[in-house]
Amino acid sequence: MSRWIAKGLRTGIRTTRFPQAGVRGEEGAPSAIRLRWQGLTAVEGLEAAAICPTSAIETSGTAEEGELRFDAGACILCGRCTRRFPDAFTPVENPRVAVRSRDQLRTTLRWERGEAPAPVALAAAASAVQQAGLRLFRHSLHIRHVDAGSCNGCESELQMLSAPYADLHRLGLFFTPTPRHADLLLVTGVVTENMKAPLLETYAAMPAPKLVIAAGACAISGGSFAGGPTTVGPLDRLLRVDAYVPGCPPTPQALLHGLLLVLGRASQGYRADQEDQGGA
Amino acid sequence: MSGALARLASAAGLQLEWYGGDQAHAAVPGAEFSELVSALARRATLSDLFATTTIKTPPRLTAVLQVADDPAWLLLTADLESTRFASLTAQVHAASWYEREIFEMHGLEPVGHPALGPLRLHHRPEDQPPVPDGRGETAAVPSRINSRRRTPSVTGQGVFQLPLGPVRSGPQESAEFLFYSGGEDIVEVDLRLGFKYRAIELLAEGLRADQAIQLAERLAGTSAFANGLAFTRAVERVSGVDVSPVAESTRALLGEVERLHNHFGSIARLAEATGLLVAAAQYGLLKEETLRTAGRLCGHRYLRGVLRVGGVQVVPGADARAQLQAQIGDWTQRSDRLTRLLEQTSTFLDRLDTTAVLLPDYASEHNLVGPVGRASGIDRDVRRDHPYAAYGSVEFDVPTVADGDAEARFQVFSRELKQSLGIIRQLLEHWPADREEPGVTAWHEGSALGWAEAPGGECLHWVDLDGQGRLLRWRARPPAVVNWHPFAHACGSGNNLTDYPVIEASFSISAAEFDR
Ligand code: SF4
Ligand code: SF4
Repeated sequence: MSRWIAKGLRTGIRTTRFPQAGVRGEEGAPSAIRLRWQGLTAVEGLEAAAICPTSAIETSGTAEEGELRFDAGACILCGRCTRRFPDAFTPVENPRVAVRSRDQLRTTLRWERGEAPAPVALAAAASAVQQAGLRLFRHSLHIRHVDAGSCNGCESELQMLSAPYADLHRLGLFFTPTPRHADLLLVTGVVTENMKAPLLETYAAMPAPKLVIAAGACAISGGSFAGGPTTVGPLDRLLRVDAYVPGCPPTPQALLHGLLLVLGRASQGYRADQEDQGGA
Repeated sequence: MSGALARLASAAGLQLEWYGGDQAHAAVPGAEFSELVSALARRATLSDLFATTTIKTPPRLTAVLQVADDPAWLLLTADLESTRFASLTAQVHAASWYEREIFEMHGLEPVGHPALGPLRLHHRPEDQPPVPDGRGETAAVPSRINSRRRTPSVTGQGVFQLPLGPVRSGPQESAEFLFYSGGEDIVEVDLRLGFKYRAIELLAEGLRADQAIQLAERLAGTSAFANGLAFTRAVERVSGVDVSPVAESTRALLGEVERLHNHFGSIARLAEATGLLVAAAQYGLLKEETLRTAGRLCGHRYLRGVLRVGGVQVVPGADARAQLQAQIGDWTQRSDRLTRLLEQTSTFLDRLDTTAVLLPDYASEHNLVGPVGRASGIDRDVRRDHPYAAYGSVEFDVPTVADGDAEARFQVFSRELKQSLGIIRQLLEHWPADREEPGVTAWHEGSALGWAEAPGGECLHWVDLDGQGRLLRWRARPPAVVNWHPFAHACGSGNNLTDYPVIEASFSISAAEFDR
């Protein structure tokens, strides 16, 4: 046993400096995709929608007149659009990609009379409003996780939260096995018919005020499994969601950002249609 | 094509039709199917058994077999005249869960099956089909299975029930375990899966095969690449496309990176289950480093979005390869040292020793796969037995241990880590030059099998495509479909309730991969 203690001491501190300092790119792969609309023509937009395997890029109309809807909440980071149209679809290396409202992951472009696509409405800005109840959890928070029908990719990243790099506990965040002690429900996976009841029972057993996070494309939008014959659909069809963490799976740091965001301990960094806003 | 498979087939009087040199198909009459497969399974391994039901054609059964010392696969098909067929389970135990799935999903009844119960469907009214009809070509037949729990076989004074799940205590997958215990011991476990049933194979029907790769990659996150690869290779077999050497090396390399992050993760969980938090943290570091390396090699931590029909979308760049090469020595050294430390830690070994034993006889009757099988003496690995990607050009051992307990599974994990690191080193040393790849030029109609050795074991995907490359039927048989079957048996082999976390960690098995 003493050998293990020595081993632990020798390794020293490996914890990420996130969220206190910049960690861009530390996790080896992007945390989301962003649409740089200035870099996209209508023809390219139509082709991007055709190659996107989910509903993350959808179009209607023609090259003369039409519309493109981009939804980072449905993006599974397959890399097709970023490889094909690197000027328009750009990987986000900043892990601060969690948002408070579903609309902040979406943007819509429109074009008429053969002109270049332009945004109809910019993605909603980060909301400054904080819920009063949040202050209760500012220093420690107990998380109840429910896998509502994931592929286990999201769980694999969640398990990394307890590993030294992310080290959840240093931030006062803990997983709890009992819903009655839980402040926050963290849901992964598309909600399947078979998991709907256990999910809702867990939520009901939690004391108020309760926070809810939808983690991963599946929980946010159904992701790859949207519209499946045995699924109920995205989480916010069943519960009010306080934060969305995009990704497939969301990286450990993106998950941390989501947790700190609902607690009011981190600010929002992502907008579906703007350049990286800096920070972290 | 001579060899063990051809000899076996000719002895059984089968007319073989060869497909690309590595798989032989034979059609047999429905009435003879069960008897023939039972007879063949005495000298071959039954690796899959599934049904295809469509609106237009009679129900069809397909058995997938492999013969020792022959790199080819034998696929036997039979069209049934009714919705009943003779169960194989009494002769071939490995058929048991396959037949249950055939009954549950297709309504074909294996007559004489000893325990037909539900596998994945819950609470479904009897008259409602599992999925809407008319998707692709498949019509799911209403299931006649009663989804209520079976009555416990264990009764008696002092036996109590302890439920666990489906919502678990930590960030784990949803599954339900009902323990029957007399106090501390586990008398029996009633396992209930299917909570995560996303109907992936059905969802893909009607899609063009290249658009369905992302679904194969999302069958299970921790074996995304192996499942994607087995699927892609099945499609390539049908379409007759060639894959360049650099794509083959990329496929093997990323397959091994996936094994590394899984096995590091598995040992981390074993350490955690035995209370060795420093060891868990050390292996956790190794897993995170592997995931980051994966991201730098291909742009995705779980190796998704790399595969395409006819090759790969991204070849790891020279920088990322050099970085990996520099990393290997360090990983090998650290993982060796950690393994040695664990082997000297009695609190670790005592918890694993004789825990959740699967005896070699049981393992071979059920044709167990992967580290779980190899820890019970099953010397099988498709990387060696049915070489694919670049595995034919590298040297490696397939470690086996005969003890069949959690400690044996730990041994297999750690020895496989060493082999994987060796394979990666060899691949990087002989990296082929980049080459343009044509990909698919024309789709062909037909069906074929693809395979890969996932971290959890042999992973088989079978596809049937139409002339435009659209999926008519997709059968996924990832390792979890095989290895959940012995799980309850292993739990009941004289263990205590407190052993449960160790048992689960030693199986390192995904519910998503079973539920699909
Ligand atoms: S990366 Fe996301 S947006 Fe781009 S094609 Fe893939 S799923 Fe669609
Ligand atoms: S979001 Fe992606 S990683 Fe998470 S459960 Fe869905 S498919 Fe798996």
